[in-house]
Amino acid sequence: MTGKETSPLEGIFRHIYPYLLVVLIIGLTTLACIPLSNLQSYHIVSFILLFVVAILAVFLGIGPVLLASTMSAIAWNYFFIPPFHTFHIAKTEDRLMFISFFIIALLNGILTNRIRRQERLVRAREDETNALFQLTGELSKTRGIDGVMKVAGEDFRKHFGAEAWFIIQDGNNNLLLPSVDTDNLATDKPDPEILNWVFSNRKKAGRYTGTMSETTLTYYPLTGARISPGAVAFKIDEHRFRNKDIFWDTYCTHIANALEREFLGEMGIKARVLDESDRFYGTLFNLISHEFRIPIAAIMGASDTLMLAETSEKNREELYGEIFKASARLNQLTENLLNMSRIESGRISLRLDWHDVNDLFHRATQSLKQELEPFRLLIVVPDDMPLVRIDFALMEHVLINLLLNSSQHARPGTTLKLEASYRRNNLILNISDNGPGFPPEALPRLFDKFFRVEGSLAGGLGLGLSIVKGLVDVHKGTVAVRNNDNGGAQFTITIPSKLPDMNHLNLTE
Amino acid sequence: MTETKTLLIVDDEIQIRRLLEISLSTYGYNTVFATSGKEGLVAAATHSPALIILDLGLPDIDGMTLLKKLREWYAKPVIVLSVRSSEEDIINALDNGANDYLTKPFRSGELVARIRAAIRLSEEKKDTPLIEFGSVAIDILNHVVRKNGEIVKLTSTEYSLLTLLAKNSGRVLTHQFILKEIWGYGYLEQTQYLRVFVAQLRKKIEDDPARPVLLITESGIGYRFGS
Repeated sequence: MTGKETSPLEGIFRHIYPYLLVVLIIGLTTLACIPLSNLQSYHIVSFILLFVVAILAVFLGIGPVLLASTMSAIAWNYFFIPPFHTFHIAKTEDRLMFISFFIIALLNGILTNRIRRQERLVRAREDETNALFQLTGELSKTRGIDGVMKVAGEDFRKHFGAEAWFIIQDGNNNLLLPSVDTDNLATDKPDPEILNWVFSNRKKAGRYTGTMSETTLTYYPLTGARISPGAVAFKIDEHRFRNKDIFWDTYCTHIANALEREFLGEMGIKARVLDESDRFYGTLFNLISHEFRIPIAAIMGASDTLMLAETSEKNREELYGEIFKASARLNQLTENLLNMSRIESGRISLRLDWHDVNDLFHRATQSLKQELEPFRLLIVVPDDMPLVRIDFALMEHVLINLLLNSSQHARPGTTLKLEASYRRNNLILNISDNGPGFPPEALPRLFDKFFRVEGSLAGGLGLGLSIVKGLVDVHKGTVAVRNNDNGGAQFTITIPSKLPDMNHLNLTE
Repeated sequence: MTETKTLLIVDDEIQIRRLLEISLSTYGYNTVFATSGKEGLVAAATHSPALIILDLGLPDIDGMTLLKKLREWYAKPVIVLSVRSSEEDIINALDNGANDYLTKPFRSGELVARIRAAIRLSEEKKDTPLIEFGSVAIDILNHVVRKNGEIVKLTSTEYSLLTLLAKNSGRVLTHQFILKEIWGYGYLEQTQYLRVFVAQLRKKIEDDPARPVLLITESGIGYRFGS
């Protein structure tokens, strides 16, 4: 036997089952009342039968209730109204009573049934109102387009047991349609054509709607007050959808409004980003014109003086020094700008490899030999420090920028400390100095582009620390800064790094 | 210097050519110039220079292509001098036969040091039985390494690594090259092995392993022995 053959039978059975139940219960009640069948008590039997019909009306539909009233009237007449076992009714008052019994049973059944239906309707409406309330509440708490879609999708599932697909437009009124999975056509998937139709005509379509209803899904446009964020497709049971147009219109409008809000929000953010980049270039040009012109002026002025024959030997030497310093400064500026733009454009490629932290510290301090000369350098690397997986050149740059920063702020003669450790799959680098630290209000902004601490002596573009952050970010790491209790600033870099595979390494070979 | 060496400079920037002409002549070198790749090939053949300084950004052919063409017959040192500073470019140039790589802007003192090292290395006899660097002496003939006269015990891998680097002293050897030479082709990705052995070797031959002066790290590229 296959399911296909049994299901129609089951359907029929489900259909006639209430009638069978009515026949059974009325029959049993009649039988139970047989002992009461004497001249005095047949009124009592009518009450019992009316009561049973009323109870049945609470649970059954209108058809079975009609049957119950008719059957009980007939049974009462046949078994209990004298003369017994005939349909004939002798007394006029009994005839009247029979007719009123029938009418009462009928009305009783129908009214109870209607009340029950009404009540069911009220409950369903209450459910819908609840669903709407919950949806509005949750949507108002959610941020982001993805967030709204997630909440709305969960709501569909929770309240209607329905699967829903949200399709969003790209900002130019084109739906971002899901790719069609050709291998899996059997499963329910929103139809791109219907989606586009619904989206561009701003009308619902699909199942139960009268438009293209021979599909399995129902499609609704998501139309907000100003823009249409997209469309939704869902699979739902008929009784939850039919004759509930107002509810579903409202429900989808709520989702559409939330999506519109996020949509406009994100477009606002985009506008702000553009605005910011305008400001970025403004600041950049100001800084470049200032920061670059100074060393250029120094080079031009110095070489100009050098060309004069009467410049003394001592002055010449100083001027040569000035030219060299100015060009080194220009080089540093160019380097920082290039790095910043590489970070900003995401064109930095990470070349991860296993490296020795000792090497990293040595290289970084080596390239800043001159700048670090006035300081006491303390380098702490534990003996069992493992190799770490980093981009050496980028991390060298990070350390150089941090050390330069410290060397510009700390007093000569104080200690600069470089410390490495390995904890919970993380490389941790601490760079601290005994300088004055940062003003507390500057701490949160230190890694911002072009930020310079007020009254700071050191020149520069204010890019050094934002480059540090950019390069650490590329490593999926974090950098934090705080003022030490005993004075001075401390930078802490944390970079995720697994342990190297040393399985086939034989150190004694 | 017994004879004036002629260096060929292939660069299309007039300022760089002028600068190199002046500073190299101060150090006693003779210079000839080429402003394009094609000119460079001709000049290398006609002048047979002791060393070529090569810019990568040339107007006609890419410097890297020129380098490969030169290496088909030109055996003397080539130093690449370029604004391209990415590790990929540097490793690529070294793998294509450049002896050294310097990025612009550069210090002329540094350039001259590299030129000297490259020329010395190319003229040295490869099979010198004894290589000496400061307090470290490698006796190739007897497989013995001494530091301050005392014998240093090295494992065979450490010894191979040290001699490979020492025989190419002054020259940057890329990680890949070293891994291939010491461990073989199957180990090109196992940089961690190299790091461990370098650290071990430093502990044995450097005065201060945390501040090495013999086994020098070239950030992200490889190692250079001495300088």
